[in-house]
Amino acid sequence: MTSNGAPHTLPTGHARIDHMEMKGIVKRFPGVLAANQVDFDVRTGEVHALLGENGAGKSTLMKILYGMYQPDAGQITIDGKVASIHSPADAIRQGIGMIHQHFMLVPSLTVAENVALGMPSSRAPMLDLDVVSERIVQLAKTYGLQVDPECPVWQLAVGEQQRIEIIKALYRGAALLILDEPTAVLTPQEVDDLFVTLRQMTADGHALIFISHKLHEVLNISDRITVLRDGCVVGSVPAQGATKSGLARMMVGRDVVFQYKRDEVQTGDVLLRVEDLTAQSDRGTPALRAVSFDVHAGEILGLAGVSGNGQRELAQVIFGLRSATGGKVWLGSQDVTNKEPDTLNALGMSYIPEERMLDGVITDFTVAENVILQEHGQAPCSRGRLFLNPRAILQRSSELIRAFDIKTPNANTPIKSLSGGNIQKLILARELRRKPRVLIAAQPTRGVDIGATEYIHQCLLDQRAQGTATLLISEDLDEIMALSDRIAVLYEGTVVGIVDRKDANVEQLGLMMAGVRADAAS
Amino acid sequence: MSKKHLPLFVVVMLVVALAVPVAQAQDGEPFRVAVVMPSTVNDLAFSQSMYDALAAIQEERGEENFEFVYSENMFIVDDAATALRDYASEGYDLVIAHGSQYGASLAELAPDFPDTAFAWGTDINTYTDEGITNIFAYEARSEEGGFVQGVMGAMLSESGVIGIVGPIEAGDAKLYVDGYKAGVLYTNPDAEVIVNYIQSFSDLALAAAAAEAMLESDADVLTGTAQMVPGAIGQAQEVGALWFGTQSSQTSLAPEIVVANQVYDWTVVLEPIFENMANGVMGGEAYALTLENGGLVIDFNPDLELPEEVMAAAEEAIDAIVSGELVLVVDETGAGITVEEGEPMAEATEEAE
Amino acid sequence: MIGDLLNATVLIGIASSGIQLATPYLYASIGEMFGQRSGVLNLGVEGMMLMGAFTAFYTVHNTGSLVLGVLAALMIGALMGLAMAVISVTLQAEQGISGIGIYLFGLGMSDLLFQKSFSQIVTVRGFPTIRIPLLSEIPVIGEVFFEHNLLVYVAFALVPLAWFVLNKTTLGLKIRAVGQNPQAADTMGISVARVRYFTVTLGGMLASMAGASLSIALLNVFQQNMTAGQGFIAVALVYFGSWRPGGVLIGALLFSTVNALQLWVRTKGIDIPAEYASMAPYLLTILALVFASKRVDQPAALSKPFERGD
Repeated sequence: MTSNGAPHTLPTGHARIDHMEMKGIVKRFPGVLAANQVDFDVRTGEVHALLGENGAGKSTLMKILYGMYQPDAGQITIDGKVASIHSPADAIRQGIGMIHQHFMLVPSLTVAENVALGMPSSRAPMLDLDVVSERIVQLAKTYGLQVDPECPVWQLAVGEQQRIEIIKALYRGAALLILDEPTAVLTPQEVDDLFVTLRQMTADGHALIFISHKLHEVLNISDRITVLRDGCVVGSVPAQGATKSGLARMMVGRDVVFQYKRDEVQTGDVLLRVEDLTAQSDRGTPALRAVSFDVHAGEILGLAGVSGNGQRELAQVIFGLRSATGGKVWLGSQDVTNKEPDTLNALGMSYIPEERMLDGVITDFTVAENVILQEHGQAPCSRGRLFLNPRAILQRSSELIRAFDIKTPNANTPIKSLSGGNIQKLILARELRRKPRVLIAAQPTRGVDIGATEYIHQCLLDQRAQGTATLLISEDLDEIMALSDRIAVLYEGTVVGIVDRKDANVEQLGLMMAGVRADAAS
Repeated sequence: MSKKHLPLFVVVMLVVALAVPVAQAQDGEPFRVAVVMPSTVNDLAFSQSMYDALAAIQEERGEENFEFVYSENMFIVDDAATALRDYASEGYDLVIAHGSQYGASLAELAPDFPDTAFAWGTDINTYTDEGITNIFAYEARSEEGGFVQGVMGAMLSESGVIGIVGPIEAGDAKLYVDGYKAGVLYTNPDAEVIVNYIQSFSDLALAAAAAEAMLESDADVLTGTAQMVPGAIGQAQEVGALWFGTQSSQTSLAPEIVVANQVYDWTVVLEPIFENMANGVMGGEAYALTLENGGLVIDFNPDLELPEEVMAAAEEAIDAIVSGELVLVVDETGAGITVEEGEPMAEATEEAE
Repeated sequence: MIGDLLNATVLIGIASSGIQLATPYLYASIGEMFGQRSGVLNLGVEGMMLMGAFTAFYTVHNTGSLVLGVLAALMIGALMGLAMAVISVTLQAEQGISGIGIYLFGLGMSDLLFQKSFSQIVTVRGFPTIRIPLLSEIPVIGEVFFEHNLLVYVAFALVPLAWFVLNKTTLGLKIRAVGQNPQAADTMGISVARVRYFTVTLGGMLASMAGASLSIALLNVFQQNMTAGQGFIAVALVYFGSWRPGGVLIGALLFSTVNALQLWVRTKGIDIPAEYASMAPYLLTILALVFASKRVDQPAALSKPFERGD
């Protein structure tokens, strides 16, 4: 089978995989059927996209292919022969490579060391990093990637790290490459560059599996698209002729609204003002360098940027979880710089943290206990500030569960048994119940299914209509574009520019996310 | 039990099993003694001296009449207190807390067991002031033997530099060190005495390094007290410097360099305690090992030939202390020991030089 | 008085003692460093040292063979390291607590075995001092550096060797990767468990050698709890040395030299209260640890058990 007329040997000198097939794959986790009789295949020279919501079973399926999990049933064949893959080492030997969503790089090691890791050395037991470096440069040239083999990985930007991941897989002779959400951390321009590389790879005879939940990217890069839902294959269609709404319906099981009800709102006074804010990262390096912006009542200010440019630190400083080393934060007319979260809560600020399982809830607590985290010491949740009032707590929890359509058996269920979307809805419910004047929403829909995302987005817009000033921090440009009134772009701890949504376009924002100033980018 | 805790549990159980007192149940016919000690019975020092005494008594009286059990390595006072209480409740006739750190624990539990006699040392407090009647106390006047050995050391040293390695500056160790130093300076006022308390009872490597520093500072006679001295003895052995031991005989460790040891014979204290108990007295008395009562013995190394005048000086010093011609006055502020003379003893010593 | 310290005998004495005292720390710390670089914190070093010290001593006492003594120590160290690896890698127990368990086991077991085997403290004929020809003739330097026993030289030779293994071999690369990002190493086909078993077992062997260097080379005697906390200082020295062999060497030498210095200070009769002088090396270590910030080589996965999957 020589589709696309690709050669039998890859430019890396390794053999090609003509056809990989997974048949009847079943994988059970305690309480969950993560893969249910899944069939999936990929051929040389094509991009086969695996589409599905979080938890649909995409990653599980691919981890089975890469030997990180063992299936409970089913088999994998490569070019007609049954392949037994019990570990990543087996997968690599069979010519399978994987680019993980969280990069599998060792930050303290150099590029060459990362690539050489686990590979036999020509001078064993000693390292042959010079040989490795040479080969890296050669591979990089073949695929139009730029890398410096001597550079420690922690000094590289995210996009560059992804290139290292690709080189790493190629170096290991990957003929079939699995890319798990490769665009999640890239600017739009970097996504374009990645697609150029991927197209060249398919032209050279590689087989690619592209995992994503972003419909437009999937339509752009794939030849075939398979949709997974709840561990089952919903359908497999050629990309040609597929539509966004059709795919979304397959993913979610119902029609999905891509446009929100969005009233024109008269913006009011400035409720959140950040002036020349500076702060340090965990490593003690500067994370914020004189960040300034205003958010008005009834306005959503979207803060876009590639992950790691100071978003996390900014949210933490505003909410008093990290010390500002300079500058001011104003809540209305009040200086709240470096105030405790407790005080900020009382003054009408709410925070939806980026790491919801870490900072948003206490995983071992029940739903009800998580609802009253801030107010457990106040009436009516407590009696005389000393004793909890279980009846009032239960009542409040039940109200919120109903009002926000949170799917949980009851209020006394441990929060960790809820899905990501429902946990996020609970946090949102808890924060919005207090009718905040200012809302800091950091990555509010990351890892949340489409249904919950829709719901959360609508909540944020309703809140805006009620006059809340919202700072929406997100790495998802689609989300920023859909919700914001104005968009600020953060790059290396500075605001590169603030533009009106009406005037903004993806290319311009993409350039700004790469550090080009607003005036130059437009 | 989860798999994560199982190995830990196994390890803890093993450790507990090792630490449990080696007690043996008995009928109660013979006289039964239990003793709790801070280090091991073969430490060539404090604990061993008590073990040897009890073994000697057992040898003399016969196993059918005299039994003893011990818990060693009880350097954690709480563990020792538990062991003491266990022994008392098991009905031992005499329970000995062999360590000055055990006093408070003993005072607390003794009133609960009025039919048991307790003894502890080294100290002189019998807690009679607190209305307790069943505690004996014992101590060792180790400065006496220290002084005698110091006299010998001063005469044997050619360089006039003498080193002493101590653990911490307190208790029995300080008495011995001060006594030895007084003996050296009494004999040779120009001698240089290097004293180093290394702040550890167990760090052999540090004791060795301290001894090495002394030897390189021209010391040719060393002594030391507590369990870490084998480290120092090793260094002395390497260069052939002379060594004086205390508490137990250390001759076996380095027969070619050990001159003499001050050996504790606790039978001198134990016998009168047994006697008192036979007469129904369960406590309230304090005893001391001295040269006079034979509780302190200067045990010469038979394999090391000493100059006659050194032997003579040693014997004279012993006689002087026994007879009261020389009185070693321990300064209560801890400043050291001063020698007061009754009869002209100094002449004899000077002659010997 | 201070002037007394500035003469050749004293300075040579301090330096030479410093090198001797540093020897057990070097074995133990280099071994511990390998474990930590792969992500395993072994607090049982002290117990392994005691078992090594006893085993070597017992073997040499009964056979008179130093080679057999060293081999026996390496074997018992490997066994204890393997035990720690089973507990911390396979069973994924909390590393700090299981290390303390290993320590208590070693402390108790070495004492028990000693008491069962010996009725009293005895000495053995240990490694003799080797004067390196020519080099030991060099004034001052010769006396300080080239008049030691074999195990001292080996300890110092371990430092460049460890550096080489860690930085120039495929094995070293695996160790560093496993300690920094075990997930990444796993996806690259490296067995995280196998690497950790190796480093922890090696660490046990070296800790055991640290004990042997005391009982059959430096002191030639065994006694209950004779290591007196050195195993714990060895763990601290790994942090002190920023997980680098050179750093560990500097830490071990600094700690030991300050220790030797304080002994000499009192030998020379300079009136510093003994309690304070003895504290000096420990204070110094604590200060260094406090002021040392996070460093690049700090293994990110230190003391975290590895389990495949998210």
